Amino acid sequence: MSKKKILIFLVLSIIIVTSLFIYKEYNKPHINVAKATPKIVINSQQILKEYQENENKANTKYLDQIVQISGKVSKLEATNDNRIIITLKNDDKSAISTVICHLTSEENNKLKKLKEGQNIIVKGICTGYLMDIILIRCVLVKI
Amino acid sequence: MKNLFTILICFLITNNFNAQERYITKHGTISFFSHSPVEDIEAINSQVLSIIDKENGNIAISILMKSFMFEKSLMQEHFNENYIESDKFPKATFTGKILNINNLENKNSVLIEGDMTIHGISNKIEIEADIEINKNDISLKGKFPIVVSDYDIKIPSVVKNNIAKTIEVSFLLNHKKYN
Repeated sequence: MSKKKILIFLVLSIIIVTSLFIYKEYNKPHINVAKATPKIVINSQQILKEYQENENKANTKYLDQIVQISGKVSKLEATNDNRIIITLKNDDKSAISTVICHLTSEENNKLKKLKEGQNIIVKGICTGYLMDIILIRCVLVKI
Repeated sequence: MKNLFTILICFLITNNFNAQERYITKHGTISFFSHSPVEDIEAINSQVLSIIDKENGNIAISILMKSFMFEKSLMQEHFNENYIESDKFPKATFTGKILNINNLENKNSVLIEGDMTIHGISNKIEIEADIEINKNDISLKGKFPIVVSDYDIKIPSVVKNNIAKTIEVSFLLNHKKYN
């Protein structure tokens, strides 16, 4: 009898632990960029140069990584749902590529402190290169 | 294919530069929605690049697969790693033509024909879109279905019931005059 009880107890515990694990895994939060340490620290000119030279090679280094980039604000815009988009200037005037940073909505209150021409440091996840290098889930590190 | 697209974009931007008929957005929105009895899955990409040449109606759209944001990080992980394989195929593109863009005569819907490339597979498609043309902007808005198996995207049988066979894609592209 007691052996049977132990067995039932064991099976139930395994089921509970497995369900908890699945539940936790299913609801795993997104990475918190604000708290995460950047994998790579770089300036906008350097990362642009690497992407223009060899996009595939740059992708293996930057894609999906938390990258901290310093650069000069050339344009401030908003998305359709009112989040800030910062474009970092490319010093090479003949080039059309820039770095585009999409900020999280938590950064909206910093808009007043942002100005075009200002030097900033921003941290976000690099998702690749279209005409420009794109970073999402960005937070401002230094204004 | 990717290089071809880059060339096409450069061509669209630089060619015939004086005509001033290029319209561009770098912050267009494309989202998709999958409904199944088990769960609804939605993802939004707000970094869509789209360029229209109004003179001939040519349009080129390019998006990064990693830019799709999901509610749950696990969904995003599965989407990128298992289904779309975004390390191998980081972009999806569409190149085509907006038909009769210069003879709309008060109509506000257009037909767009072209090639859609997702997951390395290209298919010819036709999309109906709402269009609004102003002096300095062109907006396109619409919805269309995508059949997952058309793009050789394999869904493992364990999660077969979690993901719809046909995904609804919505787009909102507010192009501004490029100068």
